[in-house]
Amino acid sequence: MDSENKWHKQETPAIHAAGLDLGYRSAQGLNLLASGISFDLQQGELTCLMGPNGVGKSTLLKAIMDQHPPIKGAVFLGKENVREISDKERAKKVAVVLTEKIPSGAMTVLELVALGRVPHTGWWGRLSPQDQSVVNKVMDMTNIKDLAGKKLAALSDGQRQTALIARALAQDSPILILDEPTAHLDLTNRFEIMYLLRDLAKRAAKAILVVTHDLEVAMETADKLWIMEARKPLLTGSPEDLMIQGGIQNMLPGNKWQIDAASGKIRLKDPARLPVIDGPAHLSHWIRNAFRKNPELSQPERIVVSDQPFRILLVFADRKEEVNSIAEMIGFLRQRAKKNNSKTTR
Amino acid sequence: MNKLTPYKLLICLILCLLLWLVNLSLGSVSIPVEHLLQRLLGIPFPRSSWEIIVMEYRLPKSLTAILAGIALTISGLQMQTFFRNPLAGPYVLGISSGAGLGVALLSMAGTAFGWQFMQASGSYWSAIAAASLGSIGVLVLMGLAAWKVRDSMTLLIVGLMFGSAASSLITLLAYFSAAEELKLFTIWSMGNLGSTGWEKLGLLSGAVLLGILPVLTSVKAYNAMLLGENYAVSMGINFQRLRWSMILSTGILTGSITAFCGPIAFIGIAVPHLARLLFKTNNHTQLFPAAALLGVLVLLVCDSISQLPGMATSLPINAVTTAFGAPLIIWLIMRRNFSEEF
Repeated sequence: MDSENKWHKQETPAIHAAGLDLGYRSAQGLNLLASGISFDLQQGELTCLMGPNGVGKSTLLKAIMDQHPPIKGAVFLGKENVREISDKERAKKVAVVLTEKIPSGAMTVLELVALGRVPHTGWWGRLSPQDQSVVNKVMDMTNIKDLAGKKLAALSDGQRQTALIARALAQDSPILILDEPTAHLDLTNRFEIMYLLRDLAKRAAKAILVVTHDLEVAMETADKLWIMEARKPLLTGSPEDLMIQGGIQNMLPGNKWQIDAASGKIRLKDPARLPVIDGPAHLSHWIRNAFRKNPELSQPERIVVSDQPFRILLVFADRKEEVNSIAEMIGFLRQRAKKNNSKTTR
Repeated sequence: MNKLTPYKLLICLILCLLLWLVNLSLGSVSIPVEHLLQRLLGIPFPRSSWEIIVMEYRLPKSLTAILAGIALTISGLQMQTFFRNPLAGPYVLGISSGAGLGVALLSMAGTAFGWQFMQASGSYWSAIAAASLGSIGVLVLMGLAAWKVRDSMTLLIVGLMFGSAASSLITLLAYFSAAEELKLFTIWSMGNLGSTGWEKLGLLSGAVLLGILPVLTSVKAYNAMLLGENYAVSMGINFQRLRWSMILSTGILTGSITAFCGPIAFIGIAVPHLARLLFKTNNHTQLFPAAALLGVLVLLVCDSISQLPGMATSLPINAVTTAFGAPLIIWLIMRRNFSEEF
C-alpha cells in the first residue's frame, strides 16, 4: 500500500528487503517458513510486526540481524547488504531488545545501559567522556536516572524493560528492534512502553520495529503494521487502513474469531443468530457479549434494555420476563433452553 | 564502575607481598622475616643452609603458587562467565582428566603393558610431558567438538563426558596396577607446588603468560557476555572468536598448571566468586585482576598452612584448598540471593 501513496517522501528506508525466502535447511530438506517477503522500514516510524506463533517472525528478525541468513534474497541496512558489513558495523546500525531474561541480576541499571556502548568503545571497553554523555542522555530520555544504581534483580518488569530499551538506545543505532517488549507487562506498562517507543521514533528519528501479539496496543501506537501469514507475502500498511480494508482479519486462523472493526479487539465470531436488542449502545454491547459466549442460550425474539435502573426485558412469543442483571438473564434463558430441549426430545 | 576498586586492589597486592614473605619464612625450618628482608637488600643469611632452603626450594615453590593462583582463577572466571554457570571451573572441559589420564598411563600402565617409564624415584619431567600430552589431547578433542557444535551448553556437557570417560580409564588402570604405582599416581593427583625447580619455572611462567594473552583482548567480550550470547552477538561481539580464545586460554593455563603441579582443586571455582563478593562488581576489567590477586592470596595462604612449622612434612595442597574451597562454596550457595548476585 505504501507504493501507491503519492504523498510519501522517497527516502532510503532504514531497512529494505525484497523477495526474501525464510526458512531452515536440514537433513530432511528445506523447511520454508515464508517466501516473497518484501518490506521497507522507515526512519521516524514505529512499525509493529504481527502474526501467529511459528510463522517466521523470529526468523525474519534473525535475517535482519544476520544471525540466520535468508534462503533467498538479501536484507539491506540503509544501502548496505547486512551480510557484507562487519559485526561491529552492524551493531552500530541495529540495536535489539530480546525476549530472553538477562542472566546477571547483580548488574546495576547504569552498568547495563553502559554496555550499550560496546560497539563504540576500544578493546578494553573503557568509556570515553562522549560515551558517558550518550549514556546520560539515553537515561534521561527514558526517564530512568533515578534507577541508575539499582540492581536489575530489584527492578519491576516494566522498569527492567525500560532499562533494556535504554541500553539499546545507548548503542546509538538508527534502527531499534524489539521482540515482544510488552509481554508479561500489565496494561498500563504496555501502553507506557509502546508510547515511549513511539516518542523515541519521532523525537530521535529512529526506525523502530516491534514484534508484538498485542493488537490493541499496536492499533493505538503503531505507524505501520506488518502482518505475517504462513507462506504468504508480508501485508503492510497503516493499522487503520488494514483494519478498514480487512487485512487484519487474515491474522485470525479458522473462523471462530473475528475482529471488532470499531474497537480493534479480537472477539468470538457472532453466532448465526443474535437477538434484536433495543436500548443504549453501551448496554446492548455487553448483552451481545454474553450471548456470544453462551450460544446455547435460548434466544428471545426481542430484548429491551434500559438504564437507571438497569432492567432487561426479554420478549418471547408466548411471554415476557424482566430481569435485573445479566447473570439473572443467563440463568433464566439457560433454564428455558433446557425445558425446550426436554420438550423436543419427549 | 566501583570507585573503591583501585584501593581494594592495592590492599590485595600489599597482602600478597606480606603473605609471600610469610610463606617463605614458614616451614619445617623457620626463617625469620627480618632475615628475608635483609637478604633482599644483599645481606647474606646467617646460616648457609637457609640460602639453599629459600633459593632452591621455597622461592620456586612460592612462585609456582603465585602462577597457579593467577592461572586457575583466570581460567575459572572465563568459564563461569562464558557458560553462565556459577559452578563452572577450570576443569569443566576435561583438562585435568586428560592430564590425569596421561600421568596414569605413565605411572600405572607399567604392570598392565609391561612398561617401565616412571621409577618410584619419579622423573618429574616425564610426568609433565605425560600430563601435557593428556591435556593437549583433550583440548584437541574439545576443539573438534566446538567446531561441530555451536551451542555452549552442549560444549559443557561434552567436556564433562570427556572428563568422565578419562576418569573411568584411570579407574581401570588403577585396578590393574601395583600398589606402589597406585600410590605414585594418587600422590600426583593430590597436587604438588614444590616439584618445580628454576628451570621448570621458566617454562611454566612462559605458558601462563601465553595463556593470559587471549584474555587481554577479550575483556570487553566477557562483559558483553553478561547479557547472554544473543545480546553479545547483537553488540558486534564475535562469539566464535571468543569461544576459541576461551578454549585456548583455559586450555593453556589449566593444562600447564596441571602438568606441573597436578590438579589443584577448588581454587578455580571458589576464588572468582570470592572476587565478585569482595569487589561487588561484574565488570571484567576489574574482576580479572581482582580474581588473579585473590587467587595468589588464597593459594599462598593454603600453601603456608600446608607447611606450618612443627611438621616434618607438608600436607598435600589439595587437602588444604578443598578444606578452604568446599565451605566457601556451600556458604555461597546457601545465601539467599546467590543466583541474583552471580
